[in-house]
Amino acid sequence: MKRFFYKSQQTAVGAVLLTVFLLLVMPESARARLKSAIGGLFLPLVGISTTGQVAFESIAQLGATNSEPSPTNQAFGQAPPSLSVLQEEVDRLRSVNKHLSKLLALEPLIPWETKLVRVVGRDPFNWWRRIRINLGSNKGIRSNQPVISAKGDLVGRVSVVGPLTSWVVLVGDPNCRFSALIKESRSQGGIVSPRQFNSDLRTVELTYLPNDVELRPGQAVVTSGLGGGFPKEIPVGQVVDSWLSKDGLYVEARIKLHANLNQLETVRVLTRY
Amino acid sequence: MTGRINKTLGLLIGAYLLVFLQSHWQGPRLWLGFQPDLTPALLVCAGLTLGAGHVSTSAMLTGLWLDSLSANPLGLSVLPLFIAGWAVFTFRDLIMRGELVAQFYLGTAAGAAVPLLQVWLLWLLGAAPLFGWEMGVWWLINALFCGVAVPVFARLAKLLDRWFSHPIHDQNRWPNENRQIVRGKH
Repeated sequence: MKRFFYKSQQTAVGAVLLTVFLLLVMPESARARLKSAIGGLFLPLVGISTTGQVAFESIAQLGATNSEPSPTNQAFGQAPPSLSVLQEEVDRLRSVNKHLSKLLALEPLIPWETKLVRVVGRDPFNWWRRIRINLGSNKGIRSNQPVISAKGDLVGRVSVVGPLTSWVVLVGDPNCRFSALIKESRSQGGIVSPRQFNSDLRTVELTYLPNDVELRPGQAVVTSGLGGGFPKEIPVGQVVDSWLSKDGLYVEARIKLHANLNQLETVRVLTRY
Repeated sequence: MTGRINKTLGLLIGAYLLVFLQSHWQGPRLWLGFQPDLTPALLVCAGLTLGAGHVSTSAMLTGLWLDSLSANPLGLSVLPLFIAGWAVFTFRDLIMRGELVAQFYLGTAAGAAVPLLQVWLLWLLGAAPLFGWEMGVWWLINALFCGVAVPVFARLAKLLDRWFSHPIHDQNRWPNENRQIVRGKH
């Protein structure tokens, strides 16, 4: 035991403990930035591996298609697209047009200044609760800006902003907690993620409601605006059921979100609110 | 000094490549259904052969790199990895560290302990990781992989040491002591 702590060993243990402590007390935004900076150290290797893979694939393709005619010549030789193919294309364009017109019609109903963005990816490590959008800091997206669905229901908040794309953490993730209130009774509580795994990903929990609150299934839940993270009165969802907490100090309720988080194609980022 | 720098560099480059391979090589994930994490084995290896500074530096950097490429909160893996490496470092004089079996057991124990510590820290931080039977099986297989990896890493480290370091200076390198001319005072 006498040999347990030389001075160099004290330094080593101290350095580790200090690093862990500093990382834990660091603000979340700074931690996210640091995480992305450290992850950036792997970019050279990612680049090398991607380039190698592409080169390997192109060499393989070259070997496979060397004897075949080039794509341009192939296109000349092909018959013109059939009527059914053209009809499918027209149907697709019509549905896109309809969707965009609907979004345009909804625009005046939303009282905040928003930016319409496309959902371009999901986080493989947090598939259900983190999405990637196609705008970044170059288009004025900032960390912690609220994100709502095209119809105006709460979806989440911007968590990490890159130059061209950003990550949005969705409602129900432990990193997206906020204050909400029951629209009728104006009772305030906090939205948290479900404590146990729930196959219905649209369900979250509202806690710290006062004991005397009258809750009925179907009551609307909106953001309270407390804390300033989210503006007041963004529709969140509706009450499904409620129960008294284990210690009997407050009431908890299950909330079904209005926004279907698995069908997000376009969302709005609140830029001024 | 050069030897020390070589060892530090070798260890850090090894850790860097290991973390990169773990995150980008999809083969194990496709075949096994999970991505094995061999960083505890690396820390056990560092604890068995290197100094306190090496253990702490590699734990810090490996943990940070690992967390930066995963969904973990940044810094979560540092402490579990350090504990694994430090425990081996502290008691290494009591262990037959050159033995293959000892290395296997140490690696398995570290491979089992580190994920448990990570989960415990996650709970302390208020996260609620999801669990299932499958995860228990993965945990066991990962521990066994770590057990196998420690002797492999140890032999690899010896090989690299032989390639890149000067041989240890031995004052009496004469092959036969009877024929050695020893000069005395007179």
